[in-house]
Amino acid sequence: MAIGTAPAAPLSPAVFAILLSLAEGEKHGYQMMKDARAPEGGGVRLGPGTLYGSLERMMRDGFVEESGLSDDERRRYYRLTGLGQSVLAVELERLDAAVASARSLGLLPHGGRS
Amino acid sequence: MSESRFHDSRLERLYAAAMHLYPAPFREAYAPAMRQAFRDALQDRTLSRRTLIPLVLRDLVISLLKEHLAMAREAFSRPALMYNALVLCALATGLALALNVIPSQVLRLGANDPQIAMASDLAAALEQGGLNETLQAGTLPALVSESGKIDMAHSLSPFVIVYDDQGHTIASQAQLDGATPVPPAGIFNYVRNHKEDRISWQPRRDVRIAAVIERVDGPQPGFVLAGRNMREVESREALVGQLAGLTWIGMIGVILVGTLVFGWSTRPKTA
Repeated sequence: MAIGTAPAAPLSPAVFAILLSLAEGEKHGYQMMKDARAPEGGGVRLGPGTLYGSLERMMRDGFVEESGLSDDERRRYYRLTGLGQSVLAVELERLDAAVASARSLGLLPHGGRS
Repeated sequence: MSESRFHDSRLERLYAAAMHLYPAPFREAYAPAMRQAFRDALQDRTLSRRTLIPLVLRDLVISLLKEHLAMAREAFSRPALMYNALVLCALATGLALALNVIPSQVLRLGANDPQIAMASDLAAALEQGGLNETLQAGTLPALVSESGKIDMAHSLSPFVIVYDDQGHTIASQAQLDGATPVPPAGIFNYVRNHKEDRISWQPRRDVRIAAVIERVDGPQPGFVLAGRNMREVESREALVGQLAGLTWIGMIGVILVGTLVFGWSTRPKTA
């Protein structure tokens, strides 16, 4: 995917969970893994290999950027780019529309999580 | 050091060793950070070993496959590399086809020897003496004198057959299933207009004959057919086809290996 364009297809669970985690601010690898594992973070069980593989491709696509290293240089910190924020917003809208549709069909209770 | 920390340290060393399975550029870029993430996960008391170990093992297998595939894609999906490989494959295919078609054609053309000379010599002799006179006088050239001795289905010897202008057999050196076969009337019509024809004649489903048919002109016109079973030529053609096929497979294999080696040695070095 060329840098600067939002993906047309839905994001993979790993990419969505990483974007959602970084929406709070810059984070290092394990913080993202922990956020992703939580139900509100997508409930995605990310391992280090999948996490850094996804981060590499997301950096190439311009969704995230490295923001620095920890003092001992073992931890790498990442943050969202403007494009990453747009991509996340588009994905959230898509999911929101799907949830609204599910509610209107009576598949989900109205007024929030069951 | 407590037993738990000793155990964690061993797990971390094992994980660090597994890092070597990743492609080098990816490993160089992310191994320290991945190891740190694993260390953080080991220290996270909310995450049990029973959850962590299968998660990391599964992640290791999946991400190894993904990273190696991504690496291969980067190494081999370059347009110039693919274009060169496709051009070479096209050249190899063209060369293999030529290696099959040219010798096969030469073999097929060669299968008409010595029938060309036999048919034209006999036609000239019959034309000179007159077809019926020659037959009635019993002076048919020696070529046709040993009638019916050649089995067209099995013998590789060349033979001649003489037909009158209506296509009826007058004399024959060869037989098939106890009779002398006659080519389709269209062949005689063609030879009437063009003097000669060279065909692959199939008098029976499993018998193919390299036949040369010459027109006998004059007051008693007719036709001379000289033929020979094509079994040997066809088996040589099949051998040529097999050799060309093996050559093609070999060339494609060399191109494939060459492309893989070149693509890998010139792959992008960035993670």
